[in-house]
Amino acid sequence: MRWRPAVIVCLLSALSLVPAASGGGGVSVRDAWIRETPPGMAMMAGYMELRNDTSRPQVLVGASSSGFAKVMIHRTIVKDGMAGMVHASRIELAPNGSLNFAPGGYHLMLMNPKQLLRAGDRAVINLEFRGGLVLPVDFEVRK
Amino acid sequence: MYKISFKFSIMVTTLALAAVLAAVWLAKLDREHESRAMLLPDRVMTLFPDPKPVTAFALSDDKNRAFNLASLKGKWSFLFFGFIHCPDVCPTTLAVLARARGNIAKNTVGAENIQFVFISVDPNRDTASKLRQYVDYFDSSFLGVTGDNAQIGNLAGQLGAAYQVAITPGVENYPVYHSTAVFLLDPRARYHAVFTPPHDAEAISKRFKVVRELEAGNAT
Repeated sequence: MRWRPAVIVCLLSALSLVPAASGGGGVSVRDAWIRETPPGMAMMAGYMELRNDTSRPQVLVGASSSGFAKVMIHRTIVKDGMAGMVHASRIELAPNGSLNFAPGGYHLMLMNPKQLLRAGDRAVINLEFRGGLVLPVDFEVRK
Repeated sequence: MYKISFKFSIMVTTLALAAVLAAVWLAKLDREHESRAMLLPDRVMTLFPDPKPVTAFALSDDKNRAFNLASLKGKWSFLFFGFIHCPDVCPTTLAVLARARGNIAKNTVGAENIQFVFISVDPNRDTASKLRQYVDYFDSSFLGVTGDNAQIGNLAGQLGAAYQVAITPGVENYPVYHSTAVFLLDPRARYHAVFTPPHDAEAISKRFKVVRELEAGNAT
């Protein structure tokens, strides 16, 4: 049948859309952790390894969590011998690429935790991607 | 023919022996100077051949006691400039320094004449009691220090520690930019060495051991 290739293409493209639409597919996170801070601190930092398992770019556009007043994507930069932080409004993940959120670089800045978080506690942070994908990630608090 | 080759073989044997002896001697020399070799251009630490004496400054510590030039005398001091509202660089560095101190304390010479000082460049928010609570979390032996802007600038300037506090009216989380280096001052209050990031506890404690041994050797 002449239309068969078209159907296959349609099916394939529909399949490829599934991961982007569902929770975890397409982008995966490993080693998600939050640094424990002295009690009473208004700011905490979250780190993780973010992987794009698709062959298309994925763009992280924001993050939120019910455990914190606000979550922002920040990057520590060193300029003129001084470290400072800049807000990253969007981070593009290359196809099949990965990005490490690590001390001294990209981090999730977690403002005003709603409860005291100690090592061993967990917090869910939702990563928001362009196109509407929201990926809930379970972060472990570590010392 | 026989004589020449005999001479030749003696020559070769002598040369070979000389080479082996030279290699053994060089290896020994290298072991003896291993400590010094570690101080050659290095990504972890820059050691100053002619340490610059720090001049008078007046800050106060986390128990509201004076922290000044006299506070540096007789001790090795690791100084780090930062601020409490710093989510990434400061806790990372202080955690590394706490581990480095642990390593140094395990050493036979110990950590008795060593102090780790966190100097807040944000006295507007970082009070003495907040500083005490903050440094305590990392290591109860750590000292928190701050002061007025001119005096922070005085000490920071002497060490080349850049910082900038961008206080904005009405903005609670104003940005603070600060040096990421760890400054090492010797017991004569001279700016002796600087550690540059990425900081690593093992690397810092190993190099400090060498620096202290060299300094002890110089003193005797």
